[in-house]
Amino acid sequence: MPNHYIGVDIGSLTVKVVLIDDDLKIIGQGKERAGYSGRTIAQKLIAEVLAKSGLTTQNVGATVATGYGRVTFSADREVSEITCQAKGISHLFPSARTVIDIGGQDSKVIKLFPNGKVADFTMNDKCAAGTGRFLEVMASALEVDWQEISELVSASKKPTKISSFCTVFAESEIISQVSAGELKADILAGVCDSVASRVASMSRRTGLEPDIVFTGGVAHNDGVVKALAKQLDFSLLISQEPVITAALGAALIAREIKK
Amino acid sequence: MNEVREKQSNYRPLSSKKALQKTMGRYYALTNYHRYWGKIFRRPLAWVTSGAPVELLRAFNIHSAYPEQYAAIYSARNATVALCEVSEAAGYSQDLCSYARSNIGGVLRPDLAPLGGMPKPNLLVACNNICGTVLKWYEVLARHFKVPLLVLDTPFLPHEFTAQAKAYVLEQLISMANDLEKITGCPFDEKKLAAEMKRSREITSLWIETRQYCQNSPSPLNAPDLFINMAPIVVLRGSKAGIEYYRKLRDEVKQRAALAQGAIEDERIRLVWDNIAIWPQLFSFYKMFSEKGACFITDTYSGGWAVEHAPGTPMESLAATYTEIFLNRSPKYRANQLIKLIEDYKANGFVMHSNRSCKPYSLVQEVIRKEVMRETGVPGLMIEADMADPRAYAEEPVRNRVQAFLETFL
Repeated sequence: MPNHYIGVDIGSLTVKVVLIDDDLKIIGQGKERAGYSGRTIAQKLIAEVLAKSGLTTQNVGATVATGYGRVTFSADREVSEITCQAKGISHLFPSARTVIDIGGQDSKVIKLFPNGKVADFTMNDKCAAGTGRFLEVMASALEVDWQEISELVSASKKPTKISSFCTVFAESEIISQVSAGELKADILAGVCDSVASRVASMSRRTGLEPDIVFTGGVAHNDGVVKALAKQLDFSLLISQEPVITAALGAALIAREIKK
Repeated sequence: MNEVREKQSNYRPLSSKKALQKTMGRYYALTNYHRYWGKIFRRPLAWVTSGAPVELLRAFNIHSAYPEQYAAIYSARNATVALCEVSEAAGYSQDLCSYARSNIGGVLRPDLAPLGGMPKPNLLVACNNICGTVLKWYEVLARHFKVPLLVLDTPFLPHEFTAQAKAYVLEQLISMANDLEKITGCPFDEKKLAAEMKRSREITSLWIETRQYCQNSPSPLNAPDLFINMAPIVVLRGSKAGIEYYRKLRDEVKQRAALAQGAIEDERIRLVWDNIAIWPQLFSFYKMFSEKGACFITDTYSGGWAVEHAPGTPMESLAATYTEIFLNRSPKYRANQLIKLIEDYKANGFVMHSNRSCKPYSLVQEVIRKEVMRETGVPGLMIEADMADPRAYAEEPVRNRVQAFLETFL
C-alpha cells in the first residue's frame, strides 16, 4: 500500500529526509552532508530510511522536495522551504506564530497565521552573516569542532565583540583576537552573539509574535539559542530535531497532495 | 526597452510590437545621427533626466535624449557590467546608481556601449524630482562635455505643494526659459509651449486609457508589456509619432479586453509591481510569475507617466506636474497610491523591487509594504535586485522568495 510519504530537504550544507505514515507519524529520518551532489545523497538517504523501516518505494504515496537542491531532484512536487518550514513547525507547535530558521546559508523569519499558513517572511540576502556557514567558518578558524561550540561557549565569562558582518572580515577579526590572547570560549561566545544579533535584527523587522520557534541546524547550538533569546527577550521553542522540520513539512505536504 | 526579445511560451505577443520597433528605431536613428541634421535644422540635442520638463524643451525645438533610457537598453543588451567597470575604474563607487555608472562608462568608452553610445549633447537638463543623484551625475557630464547644465530643483513634498514651493519652481522655469532663449537663439513662445503640452496630454491620456483596460480580468497586459511599451511615452512625449503609436496600442489592448484575452494564459493571481523593471532579467524574472498564473496588471513605475497635467497656465501646469510626481512625495502618499492601485485593479498581492540603484524609490519601501499589507490585507513581497546591474541579482535566493510568495496564494 502506498501509504507513506517522504519529504526531502536538500539544503546548502545538509540533506535531510523524513518518512511519515498515514497517521502523520515520523517513522524514519536521515541526514547527511550535501557534499558535491545533494541529489545523490538524497537518493541514498531515502533508500536507507525505507530499508530501515522495512519498506520499498512501492510503499511511498508521494515525495516532496524542498531546499536549494529541490529543482534538481525529481519529486512529485517541489515546494519552497518557507512553505515547508511553516508546515512542519505548525504541525509540531500549533501555537507557533513566528519561526526563526537559521540554516546553512540563509536565515529567515516566517510569520504564521493562526491556521499555520505563511503570513509574511524575511530572508537574508546576498550575505552569509547570521547563518550556519558563518558559525562553521569561525569554528574552523578556531580549530573547534562544530559539536563542541555549545560546551565551550557555556564556559565564557566575557564574550568578545565581533563587529564585522562579512564572514571573511570576521574571520580576520577573530585571528586578531586570538593573537591578542583572548580566550577561545570568549571569542566563540562573541561569534554566537554576532549571529544572534544579525538574526534578531531581521526578526524585529518582520515583527515578533509568540510563540516563537527556533529551527534549523543552528538551533542545536546552545550558544546561539541563549544569545538570541536574550537579545529578543522572548523564550524560544525548539523541537527535538530542529534540523528536519522543513523535511517534515515536505512529507506532510506530500501526504496532502496524495489525499 | 523594446530590444528585449520575448522568450515566453505562455505569453501573448502584441501585434503593435512592429509599430513600436519602427517608432523607436526611427527615434534612435534620428538621435544617433543628430550630428548630421542638428545644426541644419537648428535643433540642439539635450541630455535630460526622465523627470525633466521636456515640453518646455520641445517649445525651443530641442531634441531630447535620455541617458536613463539608453542605460536600460545597455542593460537589456548585457553591456552594463562592462560599462560599470569602466566608470568604477575611473573612481565612481559601486554604490552609485547603475544608470549613472553605465552612462558615464559609455561616455568614457563608447566602443563598449550598444548603439555606439549616446550622441554628444549640446546641453544638459536635470530635474531632481526623481532623485538627487542626477545633480552630481549631470555635473560630471557638464564638465566632461563642457556644455551648459540647466537644473530644475523641485522641493520634496512631505505634504501638499505649498504656494511658496510653487512660486519657487515657477521662477526657476521662467529662468530656464530665459537660458534656453540664449542657448538656442529662439524666442520663448507660450503658444508653442501650450501646443506641445496639448500633444503631451493627448499621449498621456492614451497611456492612461490603455492601462485602465488592465482592470479587466484577465488583464490584457503584463508588466513586461508595460515596461516595453513605456519607451515612447518617455522619449517621444508630445510628438505626433508617439500619439500615433499609443493609438495603435490602445486599440489593440481595448480589443483584447473586449475579447477577454489575457496577457498570460490562465491568469489566477493579480499582482501590482513597485519600482523600476529588472532590465537584465526582464523575461526570466517575470516568467517565474507568469508560469504560475501570476500577472502583473499594473505598476507604479510605468504608471509614473500616466499622470494628467496639473491645471493652470502652461508654466504653472509644468511646475506642478513635475514637482508632484510620486517619487518626490511622502511614504504616506506612496502607500495610498499603491493601496488605490490594489483596489482599482482588484489585485491579490504586490511585489516590491528593492532596487539597489534607486535609493529614493527603494529606501522607504519596507514602511510602505507594511502599511499596504495592513490596509489591504493582501501579501506583499520584497525582492532585492538592481534595475540594470546584473551583479546585484542573486537568482537562487530570488527564485526561493518568489516561489514561497506564490505558494501563499494556494
